Amino acid sequence: MDSLMPIMVILPIASALFLNLLHGKDRTIKILAIVTALVLPIIPLLTGYGSHYFGGYAPLSQNSAIAQGLPALITSTQLFVFHPSIVYVFGSAQKIMIFVLGIIAFFAIFTSLSETKKPSGVYTYLMFMGTAAVTAILLSDDIFNFYVFFEIAALAQIGIVIASNVKNNYETALKYIILGNIAGPLLLLGIALLLGVTGNVNITDIIYSIKNGYVNPQNPVLLMALALITFGWLYGSGLPPFHTIKSALYSKALPHGSALIQAITVFIMVALGVMILRIFSYLSFSKMAIIAISLLALVLSITMALVQTDFKRIIGYLALGELGYIGIGLGLGTTLGITAGLFQAVNEAIITAFLFIGFGTVLYKTRISDTRKLGGMMFVNPRVALLVLLAGLAMAGVPPLNAFQSKLMLIQASIQSGVPELGIIMILLSIVTFMTFMKAFYTIYMRPKPDELEIHDYKIPKATIISLVAFLIICLTLGLFPQIATNSLQTLASSLV
Amino acid sequence: MVISAQLFSFFTAGSLVIIGIFAALFLDNLIKKIIGLAFIGDGANLFIITMGYKPGGIVYIFLPNMTISNFAQNASYPLPFALVLTSIVIGASTLAVMLGLVIVLNKRHDSLSASKILGDESD
Amino acid sequence: MNVYDLILKRIREIQGKTEEEEPLTNISASSMLTAEITIISSLLIALIMVRLISKTLMIVLVIAVFFIALMISPIMPKLMREQNDSFSNMIFYIVLALGIIVALFYWGNLNV
Repeated sequence: MDSLMPIMVILPIASALFLNLLHGKDRTIKILAIVTALVLPIIPLLTGYGSHYFGGYAPLSQNSAIAQGLPALITSTQLFVFHPSIVYVFGSAQKIMIFVLGIIAFFAIFTSLSETKKPSGVYTYLMFMGTAAVTAILLSDDIFNFYVFFEIAALAQIGIVIASNVKNNYETALKYIILGNIAGPLLLLGIALLLGVTGNVNITDIIYSIKNGYVNPQNPVLLMALALITFGWLYGSGLPPFHTIKSALYSKALPHGSALIQAITVFIMVALGVMILRIFSYLSFSKMAIIAISLLALVLSITMALVQTDFKRIIGYLALGELGYIGIGLGLGTTLGITAGLFQAVNEAIITAFLFIGFGTVLYKTRISDTRKLGGMMFVNPRVALLVLLAGLAMAGVPPLNAFQSKLMLIQASIQSGVPELGIIMILLSIVTFMTFMKAFYTIYMRPKPDELEIHDYKIPKATIISLVAFLIICLTLGLFPQIATNSLQTLASSLV
Repeated sequence: MVISAQLFSFFTAGSLVIIGIFAALFLDNLIKKIIGLAFIGDGANLFIITMGYKPGGIVYIFLPNMTISNFAQNASYPLPFALVLTSIVIGASTLAVMLGLVIVLNKRHDSLSASKILGDESD
Repeated sequence: MNVYDLILKRIREIQGKTEEEEPLTNISASSMLTAEITIISSLLIALIMVRLISKTLMIVLVIAVFFIALMISPIMPKLMREQNDSFSNMIFYIVLALGIIVALFYWGNLNV
C-alpha cells in the first residue's frame, strides 16, 4: 500500500479548489497552477505498484486482526475475499497513462496561462478537476466510484467549453449536457443491474462472482447491464452516434482546452473499454460489438473530417476517428491487440494535444478557424508550421513517429487474429487521415494569403513553442523506443485475455 | 392480486425512465425537456433504492442483543442507500448547470424552444 | 451522367439548401469524392468479415451492397445531412442507437 496513490487524485482536486478561491489574484494563480501541474506527471513515477484500500478496509482474507473469531457464515463464504471499501489499483499500465495525462494537463495549463492575458482561476480549476477525475477513473477498481468521477469529468468538460469565449459555445454545452443526462443515468442503471445481480460494485469481486459460479453468467440481467454500460461507453468516449456532439464540443473550446478534453475522452474510453473487457470478456458478443462500433467510428468520423471546413472541427473528427483504432485493438481480444490498442491510446492523446495546440497558434494570430478564410500562414511563422506538419505526419502513422509503431502493431494483431480485413481498413483510413490533414494544412499554411485576412502581430508565446517541441520529443521517443510504453502496457493486456 | 411493493417500485422506476426519454425526445420546451431528464435520473435512483429493500427486513445496525447469523439473515442491504445519496448529488449538480445554461440562452435568444435555440445553425 | 457529375450536382443541391453562396471549389469536390469512395470501399471490405459466419452469405451481401451503393450513390451528401448539428437529429440517433444496442445485446446474445 502506497500513500502516494490517493495523492494523485487529491492534489489536483485540492489545488483546483484553492485556485477557484484565489480567482483575481493573477500572480499567485500562475505560480500555484504551474507548480501543481508540474508535480502531476512526477507523482505516478514515484509511486510504487499495489492497491490502496480507502479507510484501510482490506479484504478479510488479508486482515487477520479482524478476521479472527468471525463465524463460519462469513469466513467460509465469498464474503471472506470481498473488498469492503473503495479500492484503487496502480499498475504499470496506469503509471504510463497517468504520466501521459499529467504531461498533457501540464502543457495545456501552461499554454493556457501564457496565451490568455488574465489567468482565470475558474478555468484552471476546471482543467485540474478534469485531470483529477480521469486519474481517479484510471485508478478506480470500484464501478460506482468510476461513475461518480465519470460525471465529474463530463461536468469539467462542459465547464471548459462554457468558460471559453467561442461563438455558440453555450448552445453546444447545453446539447452535450442534455445528451449526457440521457446516457449518464442509463450507465448508472447498468451499474445498478450489475450490483443487483452480483451484490457488489467492486470489479474484482464481480469477476470473482461470475467466474466462481455464484452468479449465472448467462443471466439476461447481465446482458442488459452490458448493453447499458456499452451505451454509456459510447457517450463517454464520443463514439457514434455521439461523434457529432463530441467533435462540436472540441471545436467550441479554446485549443488548450480541447487538448485536455480530448485526453480526458481518450482515457475514459480506455478505462471503460478495459472494464467492459474485464467483466464481460466471456461473452464473445461483447468483443464483436466493440469491433463493430469502432469500425463505424473510424469510417464515419474520418469521412466527416474530410468534408468539414472549420479546422478545429477537422481535428476533432480525426481524433474521434483515431478512437476507432483503440477500439479495434481492444476488440481483437488478444494480448498483442490489446497492448497495441492501449499504446495507440497513449500515442493518440499526445498527438491530438500536439495538433490542437499547434493549430491553436493560427487561431491566436488570426482569431479565425474557418479554413476557407485562411491561407499563407507558412510565411508568418515557418517553424511552427513545420511542427504542425510533423504532428500531422505522426497522426497519419509515418515512421519514425509514435503512431506508426502502434498502428503497425494493430495491423499485425489483426492479421494474427485471422481478420486481415481490419488491417486493410486501418491502412486505408490512415491514408485518408493523412489526406484530410494535408488538405487542412495546405489551405491554412501553403496557399496564397487571402486579401481580407488580417494577421495580428502578437508574438506566439514561448510556452506554446516549448509545449510543441516537448510533444514532438515525446512522439519521437515513443516512436524510436516503443518498448518503454508497450512493456508496461503488456501486463494489463495479458491480464485481460 | 397483490403486487409486492418492490415489484411496483421497479415498474415505477422503469416508467420514469421511459417517460423521461419520451420527454427529452418529443417536447420542444427546454424546461420541460430538462424535467424529463431529471425523471430519467430519478428512475435510476429509485431502481437502486428498491434493490436494497428487503420484505420484513431490519435496519442494518448491529445491536448488542443480536446474533450474527440473525443479523446477516434479516438486515436489508445497506450499499444501495449509500450509493444513491451520491448519485442524487450528481444529478442535482448537472441539473443546476443545465438550468443555468437555459437561463443564459433564454436571455440571448428570447425563447425556450429547443428547435429554435439548438437548431441547425447553432453549431 | 457519370458519378463525378452526379456528386457535384448533389453537393450543389445541398449548398443551395443551406443558402451558401460559396463557389464549389476543387478541394471540396475532391474531398467529397474521397469520402464517398472511402465509405463504399471500407463497407465492402468490412463485409468480407462475414465469411467467418457463412461464405455464401458473404458473397451475396458483398454483391448486393455493391449494387445498392452504386444505385443510391452519392451517399456522402446524405450522411452529411444526417450528421449535422441539429439537436433533434442528434437525440433521434442517440435514442435509436440505444434501442439497437439493447435489442442486439439482449436478444442477440440469448439466441446465439
